[in-house]
Amino acid sequence: MIQTLTNLSLVLLTLLSAAASVLAVARLRQTMALAMQASHASESDDNDLLRRPNKRLLNTLVALIGLGAAGLLMYRWLAVGDGWNPLSAHVDGLLLIASLLAGVGLYIQSRPRLGGLAVFLLPLLTLILAWAICASAWTYRPFHLDSLSPVWTAVHLAGVYLGTLGCALAAAAGVMYLVVQGQLKAKRNPRGLLRLASLESLERLITRSATLGFALLTVGLISGVVILQYEGDLLGPGWWYSPKVLAAFSAWLVYAVVMNVRYATAFRGRRAAWLAIGGFVLLLVVYGIVTSGPATTTDRLEVGFEDSRDLAGAAAAANSSLNAEVFLINHPAVAGPVESRLRHFSLDVLRGGPA
Amino acid sequence: MRFLLLGINHRTAPVELRESLAINAERLPAVLAAFRDRFGGGDESESGAAPSGGRSVGSGECVLLSTCNRTELYVARPSHAEPTIDTLRRFLAEQTGASLDLITASSIHREQQPAVHHLFRVTAGLDAMAVGETQVIGQVRRAYDAAQQAGTVGPSLNRVFQSALREVKQAHQQSGVAALQQSVSSMAVEFAGNLFESFTDKTVAGLGAGEITKATLQRMLAKSPGKTWVVNRTPAAGLALADTLGLGLEKEAAHHGGARPWEELDEVLVESDIVLTGTAAAEPVITAERFKKLLRRRRNRPVFLIDLAVPRDVEPAVGSLPNVYLYNIDDLNAALADVPRRREKIDRCEAMVRDAAERCVGAAQHQDLGVLVRQLRSKLLAIGDDERARTQRKMQTLHDAGQYDKIEGLLDEHTHRLINKVLHLPLSQLDKKKRGGEEVPTNFYAAALRRLFDLDDVSATTADPEPLPPSPAANDE
Repeated sequence: MIQTLTNLSLVLLTLLSAAASVLAVARLRQTMALAMQASHASESDDNDLLRRPNKRLLNTLVALIGLGAAGLLMYRWLAVGDGWNPLSAHVDGLLLIASLLAGVGLYIQSRPRLGGLAVFLLPLLTLILAWAICASAWTYRPFHLDSLSPVWTAVHLAGVYLGTLGCALAAAAGVMYLVVQGQLKAKRNPRGLLRLASLESLERLITRSATLGFALLTVGLISGVVILQYEGDLLGPGWWYSPKVLAAFSAWLVYAVVMNVRYATAFRGRRAAWLAIGGFVLLLVVYGIVTSGPATTTDRLEVGFEDSRDLAGAAAAANSSLNAEVFLINHPAVAGPVESRLRHFSLDVLRGGPA
Repeated sequence: MRFLLLGINHRTAPVELRESLAINAERLPAVLAAFRDRFGGGDESESGAAPSGGRSVGSGECVLLSTCNRTELYVARPSHAEPTIDTLRRFLAEQTGASLDLITASSIHREQQPAVHHLFRVTAGLDAMAVGETQVIGQVRRAYDAAQQAGTVGPSLNRVFQSALREVKQAHQQSGVAALQQSVSSMAVEFAGNLFESFTDKTVAGLGAGEITKATLQRMLAKSPGKTWVVNRTPAAGLALADTLGLGLEKEAAHHGGARPWEELDEVLVESDIVLTGTAAAEPVITAERFKKLLRRRRNRPVFLIDLAVPRDVEPAVGSLPNVYLYNIDDLNAALADVPRRREKIDRCEAMVRDAAERCVGAAQHQDLGVLVRQLRSKLLAIGDDERARTQRKMQTLHDAGQYDKIEGLLDEHTHRLINKVLHLPLSQLDKKKRGGEEVPTNFYAAALRRLFDLDDVSATTADPEPLPPSPAANDE
């Protein structure tokens, strides 16, 4: 029930976000066209002004998405989450990013020096929301929150997700930097470009959001390492060279470079923009590994279910749990070997039950 | 007077040929002096009013306009006098050392109205590579001033050039091209605005001390950059420009900055975020090789290079270096061409300039006509005076003899003689078949007479064939 509601709301939010992206693009195009025309004409066409998508409409839409995402997060926190930790699954993290991104988008809309960035942020928002749909409807898997260190886990999740927000911002600014840069190199008419942010502002935005992302990722990485110290076998032996850790660490390194690009001058300009985008892609890879990789569990949990040795019984037990229904229907692992199925069941049941 | 134009410009000749034909400011007086010696000084006043009539040597007028895009001779001379277009071609070949064939092949020539129209269009910047530029007004003015100093300008070219300079300015204002004009430098500033958020922490450098550098620097200074340097090959001109712009290192200076010697160019290029170049150098000042070495010292800071010089001061390859944004004057103009209604304004300016040129030629023709009428009148008056003196003499004789009844006959005779004398010269032309080897256009003369005296075309059979008036000399007693 909760999952269905989440899915439906997410689809709605994604559609809204897509509409907002389209509006933002249309608005920018119109603004550019207007800038070209109005440059010398005082008597600008009223019709054109009317046809230009309303800024207020766009802002309302973005605010609605932000509030919707935040509301959904709150609802899920109350309905699914336990205690003080609002993030109980990947969807929640994505919702957190989405709501904050919408807020950032609203702020940016009000900054004339960052004009046009909404065009690059809103598609990203749409992407994140679409991803949230996937994470909720197909690859739903609650976090392993009953670990020995709930505080560390919470810090880890907050750091990683908020850090990702910073990196996403840097990547969006990076894409825009490349676009503006291309326009400048192609010597397009600046009257049309006028409403777009300057390269300098974009570079500053990249370095600032990379700094934010870097700081929060540092927190996420350190807390992650601490958790692994507690439960070293989560990622198996040799965790420090597992793809997830390596990718996360290289993303962290990339942002270390990007935030210092004014001093690491070899990477200045276009390269910094590419790095910001590359770092974000690396982070996405980390998320991909986390989502698609085998569930992290412990022997203790597995043993708990091997006792029952009854899949039907396990299913029944899972049904009593909150999220098992969705899990049973949707999770691809159901078709896999029984052992892995058992693991997942055990995880789920244990999470839902008092145990 | 006839107006002639012989010109080589960016449409007719490649840059190498234009360069070889360019006559710089130092050589200009000598060339003009050569023209004056050969075709006569135009400084004799009212050359047209001189009753010399037909071929007159010594009243050719000339202005030589030589810029990087064009070398053009504007000449006014009496009809049927030297120099002709051919002589002008030869003259230009001698003066520039280029071959006559080359000049013939790559030059344009215009006469009368088209020649004047061309001058107006050139002055208005409508014939320029960057259509609508106003720089050329100053160049035309300088060419005109030089010709005045050399004494090769007479009343005809005076009128044409003054009218061109005046009317073009007006056309620029009224058509809105003047407003576009400021945009070349403002377009540079606008492009810079896409690169930099604020100018207060930036360093601007201007290379060269010419007009365009000055205009663009002024526009940049309106954005109050942190530092502004002027670098010029001749230090005096650089200092002068820094002075005019109010640059200085003291606290009370309007803008922080000043002039730097040419030797420090590399340092200035390292310090600067925005570099304007407008030198008169024939070779690029900033080569890709030179700038590449500076990139490291610049710590890859983005730099905005605005090349306003023709020929270029910055090698195009510099623009493909990372974090270097190079715009030359063509790019700025191409961006300007995107501005809607620019075409409209230019078209309006074009129409106004065409009208002005027509008015100017019309006025010149009117004035020429006035001179003609004055000449005609004085000639007729001379004839009349002769006759009057003769008749008066005869009348005195009759009076003395008391033959008052014959006075009436004398008056008739006076009138007839006068009319015959006046008509003799034009009508004798009708009678001739050839004049100086040229076919006499009898029909044209006849038609002109019919038109001028408002006569009907009547067939010869109905009217008495009146014989041509006898020569006044034969009639004279």
